[in-house]
Amino acid sequence: MTRPKVAFFDFSCCEGCQLQVANLGEALLDILALVDLVEFREVMSEKWSGRYSVTFAEGSICSDEAAEKLRKLRERSDVLVAYGSCAATGGVNGMQNRIPREKLISTVYGDQWRAEETRGVRAIHQVVKVDYTLFGCPINPAEFLRLLTAILGGISWHASDNAVCVECKFNENVCMYDRGATCLGPITRGGCNSWCVNNGNVCYGCRGMVSNPNRAGAEEVLQAHGLKPELIAGKMGMYTGALEADDGT
Amino acid sequence: MEAETVSIENSGYRIKHGLLSRITPLTKQEKLLEIRLPEGEYLDHDPGQFVQVSVFGVGEAPISICSSPTRREAFEICVRQAGRVTTAIHKLCEGDVVGIRGPFGVGFPVLPLEGNDILLVAGGLGIAPLRSLINYIIDNRRDFGKVDILLGCRNPESMLFSSEIGHWQKRIDLNFCCSVDHAAPEWAGNVGVITALIPGVNLYPLKTFVMVCGPPVMYRYVVDELLKKGIPERQIFLSLERHMKCGLGKCGHCQIEDIYCCQDGPVFSYQKLKHIRGAI
Amino acid sequence: MNQALLSKSRLADFVSYLVSGHKVVAPVPLQEGRFKFDEVQSLADISLNYIPTILPPKKYFMPQRSTLLRYDLSKGQDMEEMVELEKLVLFGVHTCDLAGIQCLNIVFSDRPKDLHYLARNNFITVIGLECSDYCDSFAGCAMLHNHLPKGGYDLFLTELAECYYVHINTQKGEEMIEEASIFEAATKAAEGELERLRSRKKELFTSEVPIRYQDIPRLFEETFDSDVWSQLGEKCLSCGNCTSVCPTCFCFDILDEPELDLGSGERVRVWDSCQNEAFAAVAGGDNFRKKRLERQRHRFHRKFKYLMDRYGRLFCTGCGRCSRSCMAGINLKRTISALIEERG
Repeated sequence: MTRPKVAFFDFSCCEGCQLQVANLGEALLDILALVDLVEFREVMSEKWSGRYSVTFAEGSICSDEAAEKLRKLRERSDVLVAYGSCAATGGVNGMQNRIPREKLISTVYGDQWRAEETRGVRAIHQVVKVDYTLFGCPINPAEFLRLLTAILGGISWHASDNAVCVECKFNENVCMYDRGATCLGPITRGGCNSWCVNNGNVCYGCRGMVSNPNRAGAEEVLQAHGLKPELIAGKMGMYTGALEADDGT
Repeated sequence: MEAETVSIENSGYRIKHGLLSRITPLTKQEKLLEIRLPEGEYLDHDPGQFVQVSVFGVGEAPISICSSPTRREAFEICVRQAGRVTTAIHKLCEGDVVGIRGPFGVGFPVLPLEGNDILLVAGGLGIAPLRSLINYIIDNRRDFGKVDILLGCRNPESMLFSSEIGHWQKRIDLNFCCSVDHAAPEWAGNVGVITALIPGVNLYPLKTFVMVCGPPVMYRYVVDELLKKGIPERQIFLSLERHMKCGLGKCGHCQIEDIYCCQDGPVFSYQKLKHIRGAI
Repeated sequence: MNQALLSKSRLADFVSYLVSGHKVVAPVPLQEGRFKFDEVQSLADISLNYIPTILPPKKYFMPQRSTLLRYDLSKGQDMEEMVELEKLVLFGVHTCDLAGIQCLNIVFSDRPKDLHYLARNNFITVIGLECSDYCDSFAGCAMLHNHLPKGGYDLFLTELAECYYVHINTQKGEEMIEEASIFEAATKAAEGELERLRSRKKELFTSEVPIRYQDIPRLFEETFDSDVWSQLGEKCLSCGNCTSVCPTCFCFDILDEPELDLGSGERVRVWDSCQNEAFAAVAGGDNFRKKRLERQRHRFHRKFKYLMDRYGRLFCTGCGRCSRSCMAGINLKRTISALIEERG
């Protein structure tokens, strides 16, 4: 049996998710025994001209050029995986969608800006069909391995739709609210094994909210902890700005 | 003092190897699987009971048994491709092996039916567990009175067991009636909801037992029609769909009030269910 | 002999004795006045004065994730049922948590028995510790009759002025006492002191909500359609904290965890929660408890009605963990009070 051809690509992102893959250590060797890694800019210089069995796409889509490149990848790939927050929800890049384009671009580039250079930020699924989605900023290595196992086995895979609090309680962390902090764990999609809280940080909501969040209830809780509505909206939408105008273009 | 992993036996999670001896596609979504246990072991189920079917690496799904226990050498399940596990089951071929746990639960009451008339009301995939009962009745036909079967499905193409139903229709000892939600103009049968068929059934309410299985939305309407016909509440039996995960009355997924569908059901009398909020 | 005394100065020796032969877990301090059961090496590690730990001791009887079986596809779908076992001494368990363990024992001993749970249960020795005062305002142990010991332990320690009064409830407990050989015979004076302490407790601990234990199921029966549930539904964030921390919540999911090459793997069970959106959903798309109010009401009814109907005892221990950990401030005692008030 020929081994699946696996490739990694990145669009607008910090490349931190591919770093997570590159840093898998021994598990990476196990993966390499099962697949042919044909393209992965962070770890190799080879290119592949044939068909991809599995393509991992990191990053959000911020220009027509990137969208075109993504469409070509989609055509050449049997399975396309959007991995990492930028790819899955637009990530922090999506925050710029809330700012008028001209103002945004002139602020960043001064009077050198060209209007056609970039457009609004889109998640991968807003441009092409996605077969699997892995959330997280960055992706969680253990969850990546579970997803890869499912893909190699041709098994469908669903990201967790439970709140981060579920795993956080499994890990018996002292609640951030008890420590006087506010945390988005109660309404954020889990699957990360409450990674941030385990390490002393609050949850920033990098996976976006669960599919049916009690947004009003959460806002009330955050307000009771002294947060102003604008700050709450900013926190809740930090990783999902690209999804707000989901016109599917 | 170190933690150790110890082997245990017969924990309730043990699976038996089920050989897929025949796979018959029924519709685009549903397949009929004939399964044989090792060394010809008899599953020994009641009509209306279910098994947990597993594909290692993917998981388990509860699926009702659709063959009659009078057939001893193999049993059948009808699998609709709906979730992860059923999708994996659909990819299997004849000669492959699945894991089987069960049978679980309380099925349709068979013994109280003897000598009585029986009305079976099936909606969509609900025909699967009722087929087990129908074939049981056919194999013991003289023990029962009049038998009416009402079947409702979305359209003629989605009808399950259509060739077998053709045989039922030809029998003089079964009355079969079918209605579809939508059909092309050339469809000669009934069009409309299954509840519309109930008033037309000729029955003696006090000696008729009704067995109902279908999508959750159907039950309330069907029960109302049956009560209008004067069928006593204790003679109406409904098979409930819930996601039984353990099958052992523990995991909580199939719980409704104080009952666990996997152990106490999935078949209940309306007399019991009418007191249980959230059941139908 | 069912009673013994342990001088306070010898408690450290008793813990050392336990640690010398067993893995001992006991309440240890975390930040912000929180506690957890964790492995200890000596009395110095243990908080004798603690409020309910974040997770109850159920994590040792029914871990967050545990193996049910291992499978190997290379050998033709071979499988072996497995249980991870570890001999443990659970030290310093309050009466509310002893009641929680009893509830789990009932459920998992009910037929069909859960051999994974029962095997683990056999490996755990339980040493209880009496509370002489309320933990905090969330506790509702007297309402649930769990402020006094009612079994569920091998040994039970009550702190007196100079010593611990030890109730020996099992042969296993007796053997520990014998082997440790630092215990003394109980005295009339100590028994009198214990009796005085218990009478003082009876005055201190009174039903925290104006309702009798035996009337609670009916209250829930009669308030099924109460507006209180809609209010809870609006507040609840479905974060699942209340069920994770509950000593008597035992719902779980069953998952396969294949190795990367898919050739082998484990079937495991992990805690699940009726508060999670998809808990009562079926593959066809129906969700039988889609609304948050239905899920919260289900949780409360499980504690106070459904499992009472099934097993003959209330499945709330009064530990207060759900209220203590609720993001939205849903408070168990206040909810019951509101139901009482609404019913009139």
